[in-house]
Amino acid sequence: MPEPVIASVGASALGRTDLPGRDLFSVALEEAFDELPDPADLVEAVYVGNQSESYEHQIMYGTLLAEWAGLRHVPAERVEGCAAAGALALRHAVKDVRNGEHEAVLACGVEKMTSAGTSGATDALSAAFDRAIEQRSGITAPSQYALLAKRYLHETNATEHDLAEIAVKNHANAARNPRAQFPKEIDVETVLESDPIAPPLKLYDCAPVGDGAAAVLVTTAELAADLGRPQVRVAGSGASANNIAVAERDMTDIAGARIAAETAYEEAGIDAAAVDIAEVHDAFTVCEALLAEAAGFAPAGTGYQSYQSPAERADGWTDVQLSPSGGLKARGHPIGATGLLQALEAYEQLTGAAGDRAIEGAETALLLNEGGVADAVTVGHVLTTAEAP
Amino acid sequence: MTDGDLDATDPRTLPGFFDALADGKLLGGVCTDCGQVLLPPRPACYACGSRAVDVEPQSREGTVFSYTEVHTPPPAFAADAPYTVAVVELADGGRLLGRVAADYSDVAIGDSVELTVHEPTAAEREVALDYETDWPVHIFEPR
Repeated sequence: MPEPVIASVGASALGRTDLPGRDLFSVALEEAFDELPDPADLVEAVYVGNQSESYEHQIMYGTLLAEWAGLRHVPAERVEGCAAAGALALRHAVKDVRNGEHEAVLACGVEKMTSAGTSGATDALSAAFDRAIEQRSGITAPSQYALLAKRYLHETNATEHDLAEIAVKNHANAARNPRAQFPKEIDVETVLESDPIAPPLKLYDCAPVGDGAAAVLVTTAELAADLGRPQVRVAGSGASANNIAVAERDMTDIAGARIAAETAYEEAGIDAAAVDIAEVHDAFTVCEALLAEAAGFAPAGTGYQSYQSPAERADGWTDVQLSPSGGLKARGHPIGATGLLQALEAYEQLTGAAGDRAIEGAETALLLNEGGVADAVTVGHVLTTAEAP
Repeated sequence: MTDGDLDATDPRTLPGFFDALADGKLLGGVCTDCGQVLLPPRPACYACGSRAVDVEPQSREGTVFSYTEVHTPPPAFAADAPYTVAVVELADGGRLLGRVAADYSDVAIGDSVELTVHEPTAAEREVALDYETDWPVHIFEPR
């Protein structure tokens, strides 16, 4: 079975941009193919992660972006799963290479979230929730995650101060990331005194609205070597769908994320302790705490210590470093592109291209990308260096 | 796999569920194999995969499992904000999300509430899809 690797990555600027979605994609593609033959000479299929047609009144992103890449008559499709769309696109590309169908597949993602202001984004994102009960009750993405946060703070020793510290840590990481939407440090008071959005979550507990595109080229190891590219192995991939309504799930044991991570670990032949860095879906600060537990990095009820150094954390924590990119919180969260931005960060970390934010000795990364609220859908990937055991 | 004849009068469909709710009856699916309560009812149990799902009346009384207050509403509900939303654990075991007719500061986890139902307001009809126009809206009242 061919082993899929990531052979190249690229991204647009993140945040409020003056480019429509297809043009953001063109920018990401230019970076990814800077040192490669043209896409038409290489790419055999395209998957596009994209959340919503409401931002640009546009579907058919598979066709559109393949055409804008100079590709014609290749299979190309949009992949939908709210904020997990990007990792779902990556997973499709990985499977195509693994099963021998293609040697080079482009996984990309795009979202033009700023086209209709904050209320437009709020409305578009609310479509991810159950229409019959949840949407008609006026629920929003922050309030859904606030329900998890309220319960998490009730069941554990975590405090709003701890959640604020997660935001502070991720902003500090983003300050060393030239790709970040918010490359600036903040303090705990800034978080705690920011506007209430859905208590206990405040403005600075929330990932921002922003535009962005990302492109990831998945190939066979042989092709990446022929192209002379640094390569990162995609050693495991797992996915899980859980209930659409948050009320019907366990709200503090994020089972779908646990299963997606465990599936990816099993395929990679590792356990959680082997993971050096993790990009998890910190759309809201509480997510990083919950996902640290679901991924097996932290004993139940201690995931909120993710902002502490490994030596300070509770017994049973691994030495993993979370969200070195700054996470969704500060790197940015252009919904359909986010899962691929996570892969981009891991690629740069594992190929020695992470600059000032490099985690020394990192060989193994876990990516966890969620869609809907929490584990309505979760995708997990394990990426490793070519040398990793 | 056999489900018989699902149509819009069957409470395992949304029209059937909301017709009963308009009459004040909260119906749940109950899996005859594992006991899981499904709100609203549906043809299959997510917990065990069984399609042996009975439809049974559910208690409208319950307790607050988690709650929050929406400060940044979707445009359709802008006039209502801020409003309180909760996940409620009902006495018969199911959990349901809904608005709470109380200020956020007056609610706590564990509080007793009761599900009530009202006809959609003019504003709610405005944002409803055609087939939702007459569906009632539920809200939890503190007890």
